Order: sequence, then structure tokens, then C-alpha cells
Amino acid sequence: MNDLLSLLLGALLVLNLLLASASRLRHCIKLVAIQGVLLGLLSLACAQSSGGHNWQFLLVMILSLLIKGGLLPYLLLYTMRRISVRRELEPVVGYSLSLVIILALTGGAFWLSSITPTAVAHGASPLVLPAALSTISTGLFLMVTRRKAITQVIGFLVFENGISIFGTGMMIHNGLLVELGLLLDIFALVFIMGLAVFNINRSFQHIDTHSLNALGD
Amino acid sequence: MLALLMVLLPLLFAAAAPILRKRPLALYSLLPVAGLSLCLVLAADLFCPERDLFSLYLGGTPILAADAISRFFLQLTAGLFLAVSVHAFFWLPATREHSSHRVPGTRTMHRYLFVLFLLAFVSMMNLSILSAHFGLLWVAVEATTLASAPLILYHCSEGSLEAMWKYLLLCSIGIGLALFGILLLAFAGKISSCPPASLGFADLSAPGVSFHPVWFKIGFVFCLAGFGTKMGLVPFHSWLPDAHSEAPAPVSALLSGALLNCCLLAVMRTLRLAPAEVLPFCRTMLTILGLLSVLVAAFLIIRQKDFKRMLAYSSIEHLGLCALLLCYCQTALTTHVIAHSVSKMMLFLLAGNILLAYDTRSISKVTGMFSTLPRTACLWLIGLFAICGTPPSPLFVTEYLLVTSLPPLLAILLLVLLFIVFAGMATACLSMTMGTPAPGSHERQAAQAAAEQLTIVPGAAALGILILGYITTLWMKQLL
Repeated sequence: MNDLLSLLLGALLVLNLLLASASRLRHCIKLVAIQGVLLGLLSLACAQSSGGHNWQFLLVMILSLLIKGGLLPYLLLYTMRRISVRRELEPVVGYSLSLVIILALTGGAFWLSSITPTAVAHGASPLVLPAALSTISTGLFLMVTRRKAITQVIGFLVFENGISIFGTGMMIHNGLLVELGLLLDIFALVFIMGLAVFNINRSFQHIDTHSLNALGD
Repeated sequence: MLALLMVLLPLLFAAAAPILRKRPLALYSLLPVAGLSLCLVLAADLFCPERDLFSLYLGGTPILAADAISRFFLQLTAGLFLAVSVHAFFWLPATREHSSHRVPGTRTMHRYLFVLFLLAFVSMMNLSILSAHFGLLWVAVEATTLASAPLILYHCSEGSLEAMWKYLLLCSIGIGLALFGILLLAFAGKISSCPPASLGFADLSAPGVSFHPVWFKIGFVFCLAGFGTKMGLVPFHSWLPDAHSEAPAPVSALLSGALLNCCLLAVMRTLRLAPAEVLPFCRTMLTILGLLSVLVAAFLIIRQKDFKRMLAYSSIEHLGLCALLLCYCQTALTTHVIAHSVSKMMLFLLAGNILLAYDTRSISKVTGMFSTLPRTACLWLIGLFAICGTPPSPLFVTEYLLVTSLPPLLAILLLVLLFIVFAGMATACLSMTMGTPAPGSHERQAAQAAAEQLTIVPGAAALGILILGYITTLWMKQLL
């Protein structure tokens, strides 16, 4: 079972690199959907290796698989079609440089998890912390360096998935109510952000966020 | 059970808001909810202070609970909500009538949608105050962002779109960091010698429960960054002035008066968990952020040209002061919070009136308020001096207590910064109230007359501040 766990975490690490170099939005959204599915499988693998699972756990897992792997990507695709944006032109940092930066960040994540007090003794895979940190930093990186509002939403989803990798990988159980609330929050967030993207598109005729800088001191 | 009612009552009315889509009716549903929630929390404290009316259990674990401090925050939120909804009841029709000459093509939100989001926002604030589980607290704080972001878009202009986008994105990132912090805290508990049973506050602070110190430190930093973003502490504050200045007046009043307190409570709860060996580190972090907030806010207030942004920076300053009070003088914290919330609510409501009367947010374009809007000008003067901590204000007492309990160097620095804030606020206030008013058109005069009618709630708030000031002065006499 530990092999499956490592395989999944490795796949998540590779996904970050793919995300950094994806220029077409549809491709990006597909990658986020795959990340959501992998996350669902990860929680199943973790539950298998720890031996404890019940109907509440399965319910949360199936719901999060459906929402993160299906519903949210669908919402994003729908938004993308409505505002007819296909690709991220002129990102602040080029795609090849992004790839290098993400590689460096991943390396940094491995280094950081090697110096923090080890968690391996407590039954968690040694790859969990690097995978989580690397995914979180990829999400933040995407939000900072991409100009389109919709790519920033994608970046936020990646960031959120990174946090969930940590939670599931370290087997921290929040209970049914909190997990459901979490999923509902993320769903509502993407929904509201989608509406905001519509409005930005209508008011500014485009969704480049660098024009959103009229306010400030 | 009462806790569940406090959360579900506004939520039910929010769900029912689309039924009252007929325009004049929509706003009526705000008042009974606000009145009823205030009566409920006050009655619970007045008539049965011993009985625990707030706890709600689900499968043996507490979901909602209230201790003394959360009851205080709950009452404060309910009071502010009542004041704001009474004001909004008159303010919204007045703005709709008198600001039709604004930028053509600007759409205004449907009234029932405004009511819906406002009620959902209040419900989520109540949930975040009452939640007895760290995860639920996170869910509620994130939900307050989601419910309040559309409210900023009341006048759908380019500026408000930008403010809303920043608010949504930055606060969501911040709150995401807080979630990571909470998971790290859970992990710190999990790998310690005596792990807590769950993430419930009762379990986390149970005697004997320990945390791994290094992981706790990392977790605390993330939690502080996360909740600090929503609290508006300085390196993470950039969304706050935009959101607070672009939102309509009743929403700014609630964002500044009530929402920031909820996040302060979250930081307090995190700090309370800190084991003794980590506590100095946590307090140092909080002190640094608090002092930075006061510093940056002071220098941005003194060169501010927009009076709503000036009030927003003043909120950053006061939340910075709250962070300092949390570290050095916890006895004065609740007084500071209530005085700041009430006076800031009053000031934001008045700012909405001035915006209605003059149709500008620029300090230099508003002159001669004493002759055009005499009542508003008097209250504006009282409010600005109260928020700066000029003696009859309760903030004077709390700031005095804070300065006396700080180490000398910090105290001197803080005094200088408070003086700078005072100078900036006083300049703005005097230039707005004094002078001769620019001759206004007929429409302007009608708007000014309408704005002058809307001073009941701010007037009551001013009275409240003065009474509170008298009480705190007596309290200070006891302390001395």
C-alpha cells in the first residue's frame, strides 16, 4: 500500500511541473481536475494503510472526488467558454522560466522537509510534506505570475489542493461537519469568483488583472 | 440551542429573501432578525447567566459553545447589526433616490440580494464566534469572506469590482494559510506525547494536552498570517482600505466594526493554546505585527486624501493596538474592542451620509459641513476625536493602560505614532467641517437635506460612546 501512496504523491509532484508549463487554459483546468481525482485516491490510500475507515469517511471522499475532480473544473470550463478566453498570453514569467522556478521550489520543499523534525515515525509517508509544500507554492506562484483572473482562480484551487494533501497525508481527521463545510466553502468560492470574472469581463472588456490597480496609496 | 438559533435565524431569513423580491418589502426582513438576535443574546445574559444556553453537541462532541469572551463578541455583533440595519433601512432608499446622477451605466444590486448577503454574512460571523471546533471556525471565517464580497459590489463600478476581487483573492489566500496553520497545529498535537482528542477547543486546551513546540511555532505563524490577513494586520493589509472604502456605508460599518473582531477572536483562541515555552515567541510575533500596523497606518493616515480610506487605515491602526493589548494588557482589550467598534461604525455611517451629500470621497472637496450639514458635522467631529482617543473617549483609557504597560522604548514610539494619527485625523476633520461651502446645485441641496435626516443611529452611537467613556473613567479611577 505504501507503494501506491508514493506513486500518488510522485504523480502530484509531476502535476505541479505540468501546471507551470501549461499555456492553454483548457489544459490547465484538466490538470487541476486530475489533481482533484488523485487527491481523492490519496485519501483512500491513506485510510487503507491506517486501517480505519467508516461510512462518514467514504462519504467525504466520494463528495470531494466529485466536487474537486468534476464540478469545479466543469464550472471553470463553463466560465472560460462564456468569456471566450483560450490561453494565457504574455504571463509575467515565461513558461520555461516558470518550469525552472517550480523545480527550484520543489527542491526547496524537499530541503525544508528534511530539516524539520521528522514525521516519518508517525506513520506518514516521507513524501507528504514535500508534495504538499510544493503544490502550495505552485498554487501561489500561479496566482502571482499569471495575469488572467481565471488563471488566478485555478492557482487558488491548486493552493487549496496542496493544503488538502497535507491534511490527508498526515491523516488529520476533522470530522464530517467540518469537511463538508470546507467543500461547500471551496465550491462557493469558485462560484463567486466565476461570477466576478464575468463582471470584470463585462466592465473592462477583458480579464487581465493588471488593470485592476486603480485603487491604492 | 440558542447558539444554533443565532446562526440559523439570519440564515433562514436570508433564504427567504428572494420571496420578498417586491422592492419596498425586501428591507423589512432585516429589522426583526436584528432586533430578535439582540434581544436573545441580551436576555440569555440578563435572565439566566448561570445556565449554559449556548452549547450544542453533535454525537458527543461540542460543535457550538460560548464562553465569557465569545458572549461579549456576540452581543457586540448583534448590537452593531441592529444599528446598521436600522440605518440601512433609511439609507438605501435615500441613496437610490439621490445618487442617480452618478456614472451612467453603473448598476446597483437588487435590494433583496443585498438583504440576502447581509443576513448570510451576519449568520457566518455568529458561527465563527460560537464555533467550538477549530475546523468549523475556519469554515465560518472563510464563509464571512464569501458572503461579504458580493456586498462590496453594491454599486457595480470598476473600483468596487477591483476591491471585491482583491478582497476575495487575498482573504482566501490568507484564510487558506490559516487552514494550513490549523492542520499544522493539529499535527503538532498529534505527534506530541499527549495528543488532544480532537480539534475542538475544549479538547485542545484540556489539562495535560501538549504540542510539539517546533511544529506549534510553524503552525502559529501560519495561523497568525491567515487570520491576520482578515484582521488587516500590516504586511497582509492591502485589501482592507480598498474593500472598506468601496463598500456601501452600512457594509463598511459591519466589515470594520464586527468582522475584524471575529478574526481577532480567532487569533486570541490560537494564542490561548500556546504552550508556555512557545508563548514568548507567539507574543513577539503578535507585537511586531501590531506595531507595524500602527506605524504604517499612522503614516498613511496623515497623507490621506480620501476620508473613507482614512477610516479604513484607522481600523488597521486599532486592530494593531488590539494585537498589542492582547500581548501586554488583556484587561483593557474588551473595552478597546467595543469602543472602537461603536465609534468606527458611527464614523462609517456618517461617511456614507457625507458621500451622499457631497458625492465625493475626497477630503479637500468637502468643505463647510458646519453650515450645510450641521448635525452630521458635529457627530463627525465627536466621532473622529473619539477614535483618536481624546479624553472623554473610552479609547483614551485603554490606550493609556496600554502605553503604561509597554516597555519604555515601545511606549514612546507608540505615543509618537498615536500623535501622528491624531494630527492626520484632526487636519482632515477640521478642513472638512470648517470653511465656506461650495455653492451647490438644486439636486445637491436635496441630497444634503436627505443626508441630514440620517443622523439618528450615529447620534445614538455617539451618546453610547460618551456613556461608555464615563464608565471607563470610573473604572480607571478604581484601577489607580
